[in-house]
Amino acid sequence: MGMSRIECIFFSEFHPTLGPKITYQVPEEYISRELFDTVQNKLITVYVHLDNYIISLLMDQTAMEKKLIGCPVCIEHKKYSRNALLFNLGLVCDARTKTCALELIVKKLSGYLTTLELESGFISNEESKQKLLPIMSTLLEELNATGACTLPIDESNTINLKLIEQRRDPLIVQEYDVPVFTQCKDHFIKSQWDLTTQQILAYIDGFRHIQKISAEADVELNLVRIAVQNLLYYGVVTLVSIFQYSNVYCTTPKVQSLIDDRSIQAECLSYVTKQGQKRACLRDVFQLYCGLTPGTTVRDLCSRYSQQVQRVDERRLIQYGLMKALIRRLQKYPVKVTRDERSRPPRLYTGCHSYDEICCKTGMSYKELDERLENDPNIIVCWK
Amino acid sequence: IFFKCGEKTSPISVILVTSGSRGNKLLFRYPFQRVADCTSSLTTKQRSPYALNTTGDVLEDPDGDSRFSDIILATILATKSDMCGKKFELKIDNVRFVGHPTLLQHPHTIQANADPSVISCMHNLSRRIAIALQHEERRCQYLTREAKLMLAMQDEVTNMTESDPQSPFRQILPKCKLARDLKEAYDSLCTTGVVRLHINNWLEVSFCLPHKIHRVGGNHVPPEALERSLKAIRPYHALLLLDSEKALLAQLPLDCSPALVRLIKTCSAVKNLQQLAQDADLNLLQIFQIAAHLVYWGKAIIVYPLCENNVYMLSPHANISLYSPLAEGFGQQFPSHDLPSMLAKFSLPLSLSEFRNPLDASVQEAQLIQMVVWMLQRRLLIQLHTYVCLLVPPSEEEPGLLRDEELPLVARVGGRSLSTPSALSFGSPTSSDDMTLTSPSMDNSSAELLPGGDSPLNRRMTETLLASLTEHERQVILNIPAAQSPEDLRMFARLLHYFRGHHHLEEIMYNENMRRSQLKTLFDKFRSVLVVTNHEDPVISLFQSPLG
Repeated sequence: MGMSRIECIFFSEFHPTLGPKITYQVPEEYISRELFDTVQNKLITVYVHLDNYIISLLMDQTAMEKKLIGCPVCIEHKKYSRNALLFNLGLVCDARTKTCALELIVKKLSGYLTTLELESGFISNEESKQKLLPIMSTLLEELNATGACTLPIDESNTINLKLIEQRRDPLIVQEYDVPVFTQCKDHFIKSQWDLTTQQILAYIDGFRHIQKISAEADVELNLVRIAVQNLLYYGVVTLVSIFQYSNVYCTTPKVQSLIDDRSIQAECLSYVTKQGQKRACLRDVFQLYCGLTPGTTVRDLCSRYSQQVQRVDERRLIQYGLMKALIRRLQKYPVKVTRDERSRPPRLYTGCHSYDEICCKTGMSYKELDERLENDPNIIVCWK
Repeated sequence: IFFKCGEKTSPISVILVTSGSRGNKLLFRYPFQRVADCTSSLTTKQRSPYALNTTGDVLEDPDGDSRFSDIILATILATKSDMCGKKFELKIDNVRFVGHPTLLQHPHTIQANADPSVISCMHNLSRRIAIALQHEERRCQYLTREAKLMLAMQDEVTNMTESDPQSPFRQILPKCKLARDLKEAYDSLCTTGVVRLHINNWLEVSFCLPHKIHRVGGNHVPPEALERSLKAIRPYHALLLLDSEKALLAQLPLDCSPALVRLIKTCSAVKNLQQLAQDADLNLLQIFQIAAHLVYWGKAIIVYPLCENNVYMLSPHANISLYSPLAEGFGQQFPSHDLPSMLAKFSLPLSLSEFRNPLDASVQEAQLIQMVVWMLQRRLLIQLHTYVCLLVPPSEEEPGLLRDEELPLVARVGGRSLSTPSALSFGSPTSSDDMTLTSPSMDNSSAELLPGGDSPLNRRMTETLLASLTEHERQVILNIPAAQSPEDLRMFARLLHYFRGHHHLEEIMYNENMRRSQLKTLFDKFRSVLVVTNHEDPVISLFQSPLG
């Protein structure tokens, strides 16, 4: 939880006579008076304009950059002196912290306080307002410790907060992509996931591609795609390409990590060793990976390095290599280069669609596609 | 000047705000507010500037900009003097304002999810513009004059009929140079990522957003990665200009350094940086700095100098589409040749010598080289290098177990070489060690070893070099037939620290002043303990990624 550490929680308000002030802060004296004066107009005086927006402000405090995140609330009502209640419950964190999760927390907190005020005058009542201080202390402690906090305020209100990690948007999943589990499948708790995912789970074996999973699990293609995309988002699976013995691969600079990194070594060797065999040795496995070159098929590799491949499951070898980017697949892209103006422009043979994709879309096998294209003098093939 | 960012690397808008004795004022913003929002801001003006927005009626606007009228923005973005001179960053919901308040105020607005390095680049630009404005203000009150102009125009427009939705900023643009400069900065950032302004037609502000210039398959290259790669440039690399010499020279500012001009004029894809230093009469450090500068600005890339033995292959990121603008450009540059056919040739790794047909006339040959250069400039090709790794077959006693001794050399020795001083040159190119590299032969351990013979000194050196190996490894190596030749063994031992898979053939050749054939023969002789593979150089593969 080192990511989003909260350094201070503060409660500021526009006092009817004293003006803008910080009423409570934990830890005490974290935000100095001078600093508050500098930033107060952002946090308090412009409440009316920034009501309900999440505000994040960068500031310099004692030579270290900090961020102040708040969500000002402005409740208009005749009963308040100055006809409005203005307050802001915010937090302070290091400037480099990723603040997306914290912002949501702040927003939620402001919502809670607004509700409390509207229901029972929690804030405007001096007595109940004092309860804020212990609440803030607990929040600070628990959010920093566990990233979550559940705190009952009164009979009808409980604060429930959780810091949620932001993840990167996943890539689009294509029908010819193959999902493979990044962790051992046994660790996967089925019940946590939706029905579609549960349905296709058995068919994710690191060799079946999306189209095949859809056909065999009898689940609509798009649903499978979305389910896998979801799994991808949470890092449960990663995508590799379809395996065939006629595939061609080559090494990437990362293949050296097999030599440099002990943990990758150990993981790889146990992953690729054939079931029931003694563990394959590093030299054999490394030689096999390095034996993958442009122009060499997996079939060629196995016959050329027949001794090394004895203790190794070549399919898992390729799978692991792709998952860790030690190797990459060389795909074939047909391009129609023709001077003939009259013929139709190519739809699939443009250099944008790989054999994998074309075969998936048209239902042809590699062999059929090969035969068809080999006889066409206008078509050249690029590998990349 | 506030820049507001839309998608991850482009700003949403640029805003100029001042704060003074007469209060806070938003002087200019670009793009202008849309018409619909103009009317709403006008109506709010009729009530009170501090009235609440009726949140229900506000349209969902991904930019977020139009929710804030000018007056609100001015109030929000105005800062007191003690916030000046420091980075300013304020985020409101999913809109981020980034700027550098000087005595003037210049916030930029960027969307919240922007990469922190994009944000710091925006700060940088803010600051530079602010500094230029500050300078011009002191010299001839430039900003005050422009501000007066902007305010006057705004007043003029508001005094016109209320129903006229014309944005005041639209009027300001043709009359006010600063407004035009800000607009240009915004436009440039959104498109090319390269900004060049002349504040008050006098002071130049140039800036580039590396995120726009350097991209790998759709994602920008973080500046830290770029900087790491630049630090790893070696004297044997070459600089490949991405524009013609003429075009590049035309882009340079009038007061640019003569060293830069000389470098551009003497630069060539077949010359390595060391030779370039000699030809341009500059020292190596200068060459590295200028080269890094050109690369950072997207004007050049680092390659290995072109020569016969270079092996190239199609880049995985290459756009090989029949209809790509690259294909068209190629056809124009090299009529009667088409790009896909050329690219198909590099589907399998091809050396330059293989690519050229020796039977063709030399004119044809020159054109083929030009084609390769053209393709390299557009990141269509990657170069493959040979890397070598020492891996001794495991002993028979405990097969399958990963004991400590089975760890390859690099893990045990921990990266430090025991032998040659040339190891010191693996530091940053700006370290002083490299600056003494005037010619490879001087930085060569073979000078230490006496030529020929199986003298006790030589034998001792070989023993020392092999000391980092385990007993088992030593035994295996010594049992190789080639090891019986003291010269071969000595060469092997001397080069041992390169056999970790991190130094390619050409680097070993350069550092040790050896010929390719010598090395290849050695690898062959000791192939039972070496594993060889080919892949791109990770150091410069960053520069082989596609643009845009």
